[in-house]
Amino acid sequence: MNDYTKMWQTALIEIETAVSQANFSTWFKETNILKEEEGIIYLGVPNSFTQQWLYKKFHNSILRILRQMNERVRALEYVVVKEDDKKGEMAKKGTMAPTMSMPLQDFYINKDDNLNPRYTFENFVVGPFNEIAHAASQTVIKSPGQVYNPLFVHGSTGRGKTHLIQAVGNEIKKLYPNKKVYYMTSERFGSEFFVAIQEGKVQSFKDKYRKYDVVIMDDVQFFSNKDKFQEELFHFFNTFHDTGRQLVFSSDRHPNVIPGLEDRLRGRFSVGMIVDIPEPDQESRIAIVRTKCNVHNITLSAEIVDFVASTIEDNIREIEGIINVIACQTQLRNRELTINEIKNVLKNSVKPKKTVSIKDIVRIVSEFYNIDEESIYNKTRRKEVVRPRQVAMYILREDFSISFPSIGEKMGGRDHTTVIHSYEKVREDIKTDQLLLQEINQLRSML
Amino acid sequence: MKIEINFQKLKEAIQLIERIAGKHMTLPVLSCILIEVKKNNAVFKATNLDVGMEIFVPVKSSDEGVIAVPAQIISSFVSQIYDQNQVITMEIVSGNLLITSSKSKGVIKTLPSEDFPTIPKVTDGQEFTFPTELLVKGLKSVWYSSSISSVKPELSSVYMYKDGEYVIFAATDSFRLAEKRIKIPKNTPINDILIPFKNISDIIRVLEHIGSEIEVRLNKNLISFTANGIYIVSRIIDGVFPDYRQIIPKGFTTEVVVLKQDLLNSLKISNIFSDKFNQVHLTIDPKGKIFEIQTKNSDVGENKTAVDAALTGDPVEINFNYKYIIDCFQSIDADSVSLQLSGLNKPMVIRPVSGDQSFMYLAMPMNR
Repeated sequence: MNDYTKMWQTALIEIETAVSQANFSTWFKETNILKEEEGIIYLGVPNSFTQQWLYKKFHNSILRILRQMNERVRALEYVVVKEDDKKGEMAKKGTMAPTMSMPLQDFYINKDDNLNPRYTFENFVVGPFNEIAHAASQTVIKSPGQVYNPLFVHGSTGRGKTHLIQAVGNEIKKLYPNKKVYYMTSERFGSEFFVAIQEGKVQSFKDKYRKYDVVIMDDVQFFSNKDKFQEELFHFFNTFHDTGRQLVFSSDRHPNVIPGLEDRLRGRFSVGMIVDIPEPDQESRIAIVRTKCNVHNITLSAEIVDFVASTIEDNIREIEGIINVIACQTQLRNRELTINEIKNVLKNSVKPKKTVSIKDIVRIVSEFYNIDEESIYNKTRRKEVVRPRQVAMYILREDFSISFPSIGEKMGGRDHTTVIHSYEKVREDIKTDQLLLQEINQLRSML
Repeated sequence: MKIEINFQKLKEAIQLIERIAGKHMTLPVLSCILIEVKKNNAVFKATNLDVGMEIFVPVKSSDEGVIAVPAQIISSFVSQIYDQNQVITMEIVSGNLLITSSKSKGVIKTLPSEDFPTIPKVTDGQEFTFPTELLVKGLKSVWYSSSISSVKPELSSVYMYKDGEYVIFAATDSFRLAEKRIKIPKNTPINDILIPFKNISDIIRVLEHIGSEIEVRLNKNLISFTANGIYIVSRIIDGVFPDYRQIIPKGFTTEVVVLKQDLLNSLKISNIFSDKFNQVHLTIDPKGKIFEIQTKNSDVGENKTAVDAALTGDPVEINFNYKYIIDCFQSIDADSVSLQLSGLNKPMVIRPVSGDQSFMYLAMPMNR
């Protein structure tokens, strides 16, 4: 019991003697002191009727009683509080209705800030792979807009970026009720901007976003090669950042390797803190599997947990999907699944390794380096073409195990020794050249 | 205080407001109607602290006064008496209310009126007008799908929100969901509103008595409707309605198009034999052109009814709660309906096939 509850209960005892029993139980049940600020007591009441009636009829007596208990009390305000969910009743009802219920709890998205309240730090698994990202976001929460601004989180799909950045928003909302938080995907920013231009309402679009204190933007790689959007984002960034308001971005790759991103935006993104969420390690994956099992109320043997965690390596969302399937099957069969059944489940769910044609790889590499696709096949030995060509050959050999002669043949009829040389050169270079390694990893994620 | 009032107007006002007055309230004055008389004007007030209502009636009066009379007593009395003069006098005689018609006289004991709470007015917030008929239609189309339990306040509410040129009414108890789209004038500033389900029937009943346009006022805690001297105010829920659109299946694997009346009749037969969970078993086999509804109750018996229908897609056998299906037909005017299924664990979508397409209904299947 906190001080406010104690204070209010003492006050209620006194009020009870002053008013009739009927009046007391009608107007004073479900009231409580919410907080005290500078001598003003905020009293939580269940509805507007009570709010107005207490003010009209009992204001002076309540104030007098409170003042007797605490001299600092100057004023009294009534606030209508919303009802809490009564969770206890829910459990009782559940067994009665054999009709399945809709998974509505997943879709409580707050329209004012677009955040999904399901994404919190309570259900965010922190492991060695994401502890830096987690620590950085905690710093942001402690002092929004002051230290790491912007916070830029990158990592490939299904690593929990959206969960992390939404949890930041939810936590800030909880700690600083006065701060206005807004979450959006970059795609939404883009399409709203597009609509605003069409309707000639660019100014109201600008005003809309500028009224927030914290803006969280998901998947900024969407802005790649979209100059007009980038320009708008740039201006938005400047206004926002200069006034000390917090920005949080996420992307599937480091800003330096987002193709077709203006340098000035790249620079802006790097001003604060850039953190990477790499592939989760085995221990973290096990922890994630366990957490997800808890959510579904199923228990899996250590062997199965291990198996699931080692089969799916880089994508947490896939782990979630597998656990969903396992939970569903367990419910259906009404018993625990055997390891063989789990293997079967996984076989269906894990996507087969993609096969990519040489042409596709050349296209993606040339787009990535922003050069003409044809020039890779040509004999030209210009420096800006040679490196991409070598990278393409390296990826073809290393990741897709295509023979040297056939790589040579497809890449504009080159000798297989040329291909071997390129392959070895890149292999040596990435040992020392961090940037090159990063580029190749980015390319791999795009294939 | 002494007033002369048109009998018909008095009767209407009392009957409308009597239902609002609280029942079994800890504070006795809440089960009263408060009558406030100012110069040539009487205001009838009642509230149960969830909904509040005021009705203004012109009267002939010489002075002012306030009394609180038990709603049930005055309502029963006024609805039974007859008056050919069409004018009734009401006056306070030694603290009690004396009602005089040409034939009958009644003295009703009153309660102290000081304890009667003020009916809140929505002074801040938004204001707009709305065609009454459409509002009633929207509420009526969905409100039966709200959750009766008060566990989740947002689900025991009707949700209204704006989507372009439409205002959308939605309600769900998480086992079924109803949605109605209604076209509105372009600049109606409706934001998300959650009106408690238990106030909806009162609101609908009152709105049906009001003219064609209604004034709506809205703030964080309250919504009020005003027209023709009637004012009704309801608490609204400060909460978030789930983004249910994500649950609506995008496509379907099996579709049944059937005459509404045929389906309704078969379901009614099935209900005779349904078990305590109201379970009906649907068999849909497009290849064999079979659409059957089956129920079984170990104490009563069982039945199987075939229904003529146009079937497409995959065969499926699935169970539903009879009540959850039959409820939606009150909101469908069309002659035939389409049932769209997307497999065993997915909701069934029910829509009207021709005519007004603005209604949609989702029903979840049963586990066994």
